[in-house]
Amino acid sequence: MKKHHNNPDSCTACTVCVANCPVTAATRKFRGPKMVGPTLERMRLSQDDIEPSLEYCTNCKNCDMSCPSGVPISTLNMLARAKHFKNRKRSLRDWILSHGEKMAKLSAATPGMANLGMKMSRGILKKIGISNKAPLPPYASKSFSKLFKNLKQTSYPDKVVFYPGCFINYNDPQVGMDFVAVMQANKFEVIIEEDFVCCGSPLVVNGFLDEAEENAKKNIAVLKKWTDKGYPIITCCTSCGLMLKQEYQELFHIEGVEEYAKHLYDAGEFLLDLHDQGRLNTNFGTLNEKYMYHAPCHLRAQGMGLPGVELLALIPGLDVQDADAGCCGISGNYGFKEDKYDISMEIGSGLFKTIKESGRDTVVSECGTCRLQIGHGANVKTLHPMTLVRKSYEAFHK
Amino acid sequence: MTGPGLCPVSFISFLKRGIEMQKTTVVVIGGGATGVGILRDLCMRGVDAILLEQQDLAYGTSSRYHGLLHSGGRYAVKDAEAGKECIEENTILRRIGRHCVEQTEGFFARTHLDDEAFEGKWVEACAKVGIPTIPISVEEALRLEPNLSPKIKSVYRVPDAAIDGFRMVWQNVASARKYGGRVLTYTTVIGIEHSNNQVVGIKVRNTLTGEVSNIACDFIISAAGSWAGEIAALAGISVNVQPDRGTLIAFNHRITSRIVNRLRPASDGDIFVPHGSITILGTTSASVNKPDDTVPNAKEVVELLNIGEALFEDIRSYRMLRAFAGTRPLYSADPNATGRGASRGFVTLDHAHDGLKGFVSVVGGKFTTYRLMAEKVTDLVCGYLNVKTPCRTAEENLVEDTSPALMAKARLYFPAYGAELAASRLGSEGLEKVIARIQEKPEKRQLLCECENVTMAEVEEAAADSTSYMISDVRRKTRMGMGTCQGAFCTFRSVGAVDANGLSWGKDTNVLFKEFLQGRWKGIRPILWGNVMREMELTRGIYEGTLNINGAIDNEGI
Amino acid sequence: MREYDIVVIGGGLAGLMAAAAATKRGKKVTVLSLGSGTLTIGGGIVDVMGYLEGGIPAATPSAGLLQVGDKHPYKMIGRPAIEESIRFFKEICEQEGYSYIGNLDKMQWIPTAAGTLKPTCLVPKTMDTTELKKADKVIVLGFDALKDFYPSLIAKNFKKIPAFAQKEYEVVMIDPKLSEGRDVTALDVARWLDTEDGLASCIEKMRNVVPSGSVVIIPPVLGTRPNYLVKEKLEQALGCTFVETASVPPSITGLRLRTMLVRYLKKNGVRIVEQAIVAKSIVEENNCMAVITEGVDRERTYYAKSFILANGGFYGGGLLAEPGKVIEPIFNLPVEAPTDHELWANYSLFSSEAQPFAKLGLDVDEKMRPVDADGKVILNNVFVAGRNLRGYDFSFEKSGNGVAIASGYQAAMSV
Repeated sequence: MKKHHNNPDSCTACTVCVANCPVTAATRKFRGPKMVGPTLERMRLSQDDIEPSLEYCTNCKNCDMSCPSGVPISTLNMLARAKHFKNRKRSLRDWILSHGEKMAKLSAATPGMANLGMKMSRGILKKIGISNKAPLPPYASKSFSKLFKNLKQTSYPDKVVFYPGCFINYNDPQVGMDFVAVMQANKFEVIIEEDFVCCGSPLVVNGFLDEAEENAKKNIAVLKKWTDKGYPIITCCTSCGLMLKQEYQELFHIEGVEEYAKHLYDAGEFLLDLHDQGRLNTNFGTLNEKYMYHAPCHLRAQGMGLPGVELLALIPGLDVQDADAGCCGISGNYGFKEDKYDISMEIGSGLFKTIKESGRDTVVSECGTCRLQIGHGANVKTLHPMTLVRKSYEAFHK
Repeated sequence: MTGPGLCPVSFISFLKRGIEMQKTTVVVIGGGATGVGILRDLCMRGVDAILLEQQDLAYGTSSRYHGLLHSGGRYAVKDAEAGKECIEENTILRRIGRHCVEQTEGFFARTHLDDEAFEGKWVEACAKVGIPTIPISVEEALRLEPNLSPKIKSVYRVPDAAIDGFRMVWQNVASARKYGGRVLTYTTVIGIEHSNNQVVGIKVRNTLTGEVSNIACDFIISAAGSWAGEIAALAGISVNVQPDRGTLIAFNHRITSRIVNRLRPASDGDIFVPHGSITILGTTSASVNKPDDTVPNAKEVVELLNIGEALFEDIRSYRMLRAFAGTRPLYSADPNATGRGASRGFVTLDHAHDGLKGFVSVVGGKFTTYRLMAEKVTDLVCGYLNVKTPCRTAEENLVEDTSPALMAKARLYFPAYGAELAASRLGSEGLEKVIARIQEKPEKRQLLCECENVTMAEVEEAAADSTSYMISDVRRKTRMGMGTCQGAFCTFRSVGAVDANGLSWGKDTNVLFKEFLQGRWKGIRPILWGNVMREMELTRGIYEGTLNINGAIDNEGI
Repeated sequence: MREYDIVVIGGGLAGLMAAAAATKRGKKVTVLSLGSGTLTIGGGIVDVMGYLEGGIPAATPSAGLLQVGDKHPYKMIGRPAIEESIRFFKEICEQEGYSYIGNLDKMQWIPTAAGTLKPTCLVPKTMDTTELKKADKVIVLGFDALKDFYPSLIAKNFKKIPAFAQKEYEVVMIDPKLSEGRDVTALDVARWLDTEDGLASCIEKMRNVVPSGSVVIIPPVLGTRPNYLVKEKLEQALGCTFVETASVPPSITGLRLRTMLVRYLKKNGVRIVEQAIVAKSIVEENNCMAVITEGVDRERTYYAKSFILANGGFYGGGLLAEPGKVIEPIFNLPVEAPTDHELWANYSLFSSEAQPFAKLGLDVDEKMRPVDADGKVILNNVFVAGRNLRGYDFSFEKSGNGVAIASGYQAAMSV
């Protein structure tokens, strides 16, 4: 029997997903996950039409997480979106937002200029439908892959392959560098594979499913090559992780995902597993610091709890409080869109309020775009858990 | 001649009883496909006619079958004549009934379990009666229908189509009404009145009010299907109709977009028909004693699934919505013939040969050839009535096409996927009325039945129809309550909406709740496992647990 | 190796209560949950025992408890633990600022959206009927475009209930101006009232139609959050009493209760793993060592000293129904069920009898451990709670959340 039935059969119409959908809570324009997902899926199988409010789904997966029946609601939405756009012309805005990797490569030669250009062209971006209030991420002066090339690692027999993803590679390379340092402290050598491409998450949410599938094929071939050799693969970005292990299986029928997915880890989970095996470097230096933590929806959706929180709990002195206030609202590039910016901020408002009320000035979260949004919405600093783990290791030696 | 049900009465006795008596030329008994087809044909030829139905229109076998508009392929080998009739009528209906027919085309697929030798015989027989069969590769078939079992051996394309029994009956009635046809539902026949061996009227009882009345007429046509034997018995005449129960399963989604027939001699469980949002698998065949023996059981369902697995491997993973059963009216001059052995052709019995003039029974036949049956029997009756107008039912469409302007307007008011569905259910006139309701109160565009995309306005329009007396009648007109949740949510809303509009037919709302949910339960009970069981926990949780409609009007302890 | 004292399988009311009770005892608890349970469907009203076999209403929940059949979970749990569990539940609610009213010695008959009354035991303050019972005149207030509430139906049906027949009813409508966008459910109205603007606007609209001193029956819309702010502000501004009805999903009262319980557990250090599909177990000599989740990527093993099996009945997936048999998928525990499927259900959906299929489930001992047909304990460190238990038809009896709370509590106390 096929493993993934992307059909609406398990839905009992119970409406729990509606109660848990952050978009539904933020705007009445969205007809809600139950209606747009499984209910209309039965109609889509016999009629060619489009539910206009489908565009409001952020693919945050809170519907899937709350569903008592295991219906892949968000996947049904993404497939419907792709089907609708298959033979239709797309807006420049959606193209740009979906092709962050291409845009980054174009800008890579002169990131400083690109950032300047971006600042100056916010007016132009607004014209094509990108909000001039949105927290667009600046490009780093040097990409992660450039920084990594110049890094001298100690060689160890144990090796892991790192999938940095676009955000770490082009916008926030320090997270990648922190991760490498943490792995080095645990006597692992990190391998970077030049052939990885964007996981496709931004393409999927904007309906460029065919292109996402092309990316998937490329990534799957590379991932499988390494896991076949016995190397674990690690991500620090929860949306990339979810895409590589789960959404590839739900959206496409490409051989090999099931085999490599067994060896694909979130960085926090990998380190906790090391801890379970008694081989985690626990020479943690004391960090007498207080942070809020935000659990990215795409981490929660992976069915492994909150490994980042558990890992940080091992660091002496560190006080990390889970905000537990739901989705931040950004959903990749959803919150960048002119017509979605307010909804995105409304979704995140509960989280921003919780953070502000906590009085803590820094928020820890695994997801890069969550960090952008939280920084923007709550006016706080943000960090990836790996940065704190590295800091703690370094504190030990001081 | 006299018989137990025969009650000769005079015109004077009618007057004495002081009841305003209806009068017509022809009374048609039976609100199924054949009956409404006859009503339409008579009215189009200018003959005044009233149709009587003991329940709601399409309550009987016309909605209790798989809804396949046969290409004839299924009958070609065994009954060439039936095959030929099918392909001819199929061609006509796809034209005149395009608002109730979905032109899906069909596959005949031979599975690994089926006899290869039959395939050649079948191709040859189809060619002989003019049914086009186009062989395609198994790969191509799987590409077109990915859920088909990869074990199938060969596939042919045929011009099968899916036909919606409810809609087809309604559209025939709508057409007949334009020509003056009248319909009385929930009206059961309790006597055939005659004088001098000539029919003069019919005695009926309203099954909802119990009221008895008479209708004066010159002619009675019994198109009562499986009930034809009982009707004829009222006149002391014997008509040997053997009810043969067929059980079917409705699945929650469209597992195939084409009809899939199993390429083997006609047998149980070998037809899958997609209908809008659902798929129907049929059928079993079992002789039963009573025409209303339509309660399916779990054993039949399990058997159907076992057989259906040959065509669709994952059949057990597809959610069922309900099981249902109808009784085929198998007619045989030979009282011993039953089941698939009895003919599925049709026969017109002129009871003048039995000594009663003005009484005709039409028996046997199949849904696909309903129009032809109606034409034949109407020809016969018109001969007696000296009406020379020729039959035009094959030329004129059942309902007019909805104009592009009206469709564009509808799209402004109906939610996505809703406008086309509503248009095909309602026809132009009904669609305009529903749009007017939404224009007056925009919130009526909200979906009362989310599963089947039915607006509150449409439910109110259907409830206001003169033939609606309970929520189930509204269901048959709109499809509300026939989707995934089987009434878990829309029962509450429909009773509420109907009541709020003063349309609750004088009934207590708890009675309406229970009546509708019990109707749904009949089809759920035999398939109570998997997701169906889960849905039932939800439904009972809402109506029994939370709303307490079972223990209702209990004020102990207050 | 990370080992927990207790792994609770299931994040519905039974699982959450078990986790709460275990945490209270100082245990380290992990909850493995899949979906957010059925509270948001079934509602936050705590039924304990409303009707006995034959459809006879119990005089009080306590009286009902005394009359349940031998296989009923309440029989196993016993009266003292049931009382304790109810007390514990109310204590949590009180502590979290969302207190419940009621006790085992009084049946509360509360209004429903179908214009009926239903017997229950504990309700949030938004469903307090004290003033409703006293009132001579009652306002039934509906919201324009809300498709899940029909006030005239309620008013009409209440006229048929002897104890309510003498009252005068007036139906009034408020327009929340929500007709744009998606269909309006109670959730939309409750979210409107969650906002300051919405609440202020609602008060203004109500002022015109609801005189001071009125008792007002409304759909469950008094805010989505587990507190009484919306109720208090409305009542203060208008000088009225509002009574929410029991109604169809999505259940606002259930949503509030769930939000409150999850918040309580997290505050108390309970780890909750979402999207955890528990597929199998590792059992050695009548002891469960670990349970294994089946992720889309790989299996994960959760070790613990004890396990609480609270993953629901047929709806939640704790029991799987097939023609003529029932499967418990994690431990393969035996479930006695008629092999002839025709015997599973009554011909009438609603009658004076419980439905046989609703009573199918796991047999347990007084500690909630699963037992075989001879009453022998099958697993020493596994404790069963909630809808997967044998012997009760929650819809018919009105006992759903009561069994969840009592069995969840008893399971945690037996560990």
